[in-house]
Amino acid sequence: MEKKVEKYDVIIIGGGAAGLTAGIYCGRARLKTLLIEKSLVGGLATYTNEIENYPGFPEGSTGLGLMELFHKQAKKFNVDFKLTDVKSVNLEGDVKTVETFRNKFEAKAVIVATGGKPRLTGAKGEEAFLYDKGISFCATCDAAANTGKTVLVVGSGDAAIEEGMFLTKFADKVIVSVLHDTGKMDCNEIAKAEALANPKMEFIWNSVAHEFFGEERLHTVVLKNLKTDQLIPVKVDSCFLFIGYLPNTDIFKGVLDMNKGGYLLTNEKMETNIEGIFACGDVRDKFLKQVATAVGDGAIAGYSAEKYIAESELFHNQIMQCDKPGIVYVWNAIDPKCREFLPLIEKYEAAYDGKVRITKVDIYKSAGIASRLGVSQVPSIVKIKDGKIEKIIRENICEEELAAAIEE
Amino acid sequence: MGKEVMLDCLGEACPVPLIKTENALKKLTIGDLLIVHIDHSCAMKNVPEWARKEGHNVEIEEVDDGEWEIFIEKAK
Repeated sequence: MEKKVEKYDVIIIGGGAAGLTAGIYCGRARLKTLLIEKSLVGGLATYTNEIENYPGFPEGSTGLGLMELFHKQAKKFNVDFKLTDVKSVNLEGDVKTVETFRNKFEAKAVIVATGGKPRLTGAKGEEAFLYDKGISFCATCDAAANTGKTVLVVGSGDAAIEEGMFLTKFADKVIVSVLHDTGKMDCNEIAKAEALANPKMEFIWNSVAHEFFGEERLHTVVLKNLKTDQLIPVKVDSCFLFIGYLPNTDIFKGVLDMNKGGYLLTNEKMETNIEGIFACGDVRDKFLKQVATAVGDGAIAGYSAEKYIAESELFHNQIMQCDKPGIVYVWNAIDPKCREFLPLIEKYEAAYDGKVRITKVDIYKSAGIASRLGVSQVPSIVKIKDGKIEKIIRENICEEELAAAIEE
Repeated sequence: MGKEVMLDCLGEACPVPLIKTENALKKLTIGDLLIVHIDHSCAMKNVPEWARKEGHNVEIEEVDDGEWEIFIEKAK
C-alpha cells in the first residue's frame, strides 16, 4: 500500500511536556506543526499521581491534569496531533521525512522529544509478566485493580516512594525493595520520612529483583540480598518497577549524536548534529529531568526551529536565487570595522538596484546563514551566481574589489 | 483487507480494556483490524504498549476529549 504523503513545517516526535511546549511555540509562530505521540498525550508526567513542584500550581496537580492543559493549549495554536508510533526517519537534507505505519510526513525541521521509557530489572522471567501479567510501571493506572492486595515496588527514588505511598491507599500492603542499606533511599527527605512512618509500607533493604515466577499471572518475586546472597521469595499480586528510565532513541542510532547511555547531545539552542533537527526534554543528555526543565527545553527547541525555517527560506529564496547575480555582505553590527563598510554596500545597493541582489547578513543576530555560506570571518563578501557561491572576498574589502566583483 | 471488529470498552477501567483486547485479538486472523473504543486514559497506556510489544501495528484516533479509538492491525 502506497503511503499518503503530508507536508508540514515542523514535526515534533513525542507528546510529553517538552514536545507539547515546542508545539505551543511553533503553533503560535504560525508554523504548520504536527505532533506525533505513540499513545497518550502527556508523556511520562501522566504516570505521576501528583506534581507539586511545577510552578503556577500552588495546590499541586495530577500529572494527567497538568498535561491535559498543555495539550489544550497546543491545540489552541492549531497543532495537529497524530497518535501512533514513528517507524523510521530520514533526517538529512532540506526535506526531512518521518514515517508511521500508515503515513509519510515531510517537514523542514524535526524536533525530537521522545523522552524515556521505564527501565526493566533484567531479572529472569520478567519479560513474561510485563504490563497485563502483573508487572506495571504506572501506579495511577493500576492502583485501583490492587485494592486489598499485596504489591511489591522495586526502587527507592522519588517515583518509587511517592507512587508506593499512593498505592497504600488501595493495597493492603506495599513492600519496597531497596538497593541500599537500611534507612537509605534515593528519594527526597520528605517522601522518605512519610514512607517510613506509613504502617502499610514494608522495606526489604540491600535487595534486587532476582527472578519472577507465576502461572498465567505473576505470583512471586524472588529478591536477592546483595550482601548475603540470600534469596527472599515474596508473594505478591502485582509488582511495580520504578528504577529509572532509558531514552527512546533506537530509531536515531548512528544518525544523531548521543552519549553512551543513548541520550541525545545538543547545544544550548537544542540543536543536534544535523541541521534542522532539534532535541528537547528527557531524551537529551542533561542534568535535571523534570516537567519544569522540559518546558524550558521545549520553548527553546520551538524557537530554534522557527528561526531555522526562516533562515532556510531566506537562504534559498533570497541569497541562493538564480535570477540575477547576488552579493552578500556578511557583517557583525557590533564590529566597528564592519559598520565602516555599510555606507559603501548601501551605495552599491542603490546603484545596482534591479540588476544585482544585495543582501546584508548580520551575524550578531544569528550565525546560521553565514555558516551555510561557509563564512566565519567578518566582514566578508560572497558573490553568488546562478544559485552558487562563486567567490568569497575576505581580505581587502574596498570599493574597487566590490565593483570588480559586481562587474565580473 | 481483513475484517474490522469493534470492541466497546467505554466506561471500563484498567485492566478490563486490556483483558478484553487480548481476548478479542485471539479470535482474529492476521490482517484483521480491531478497533477498541475507550474513555479511560489508563487504557491508553497499557493497551497500545501491550499490542506493540506483541508486534501488532497500532494507531489511535482521539474521537472526542478523553475518548479514543485504538486501531490494532493483527500482524502475527
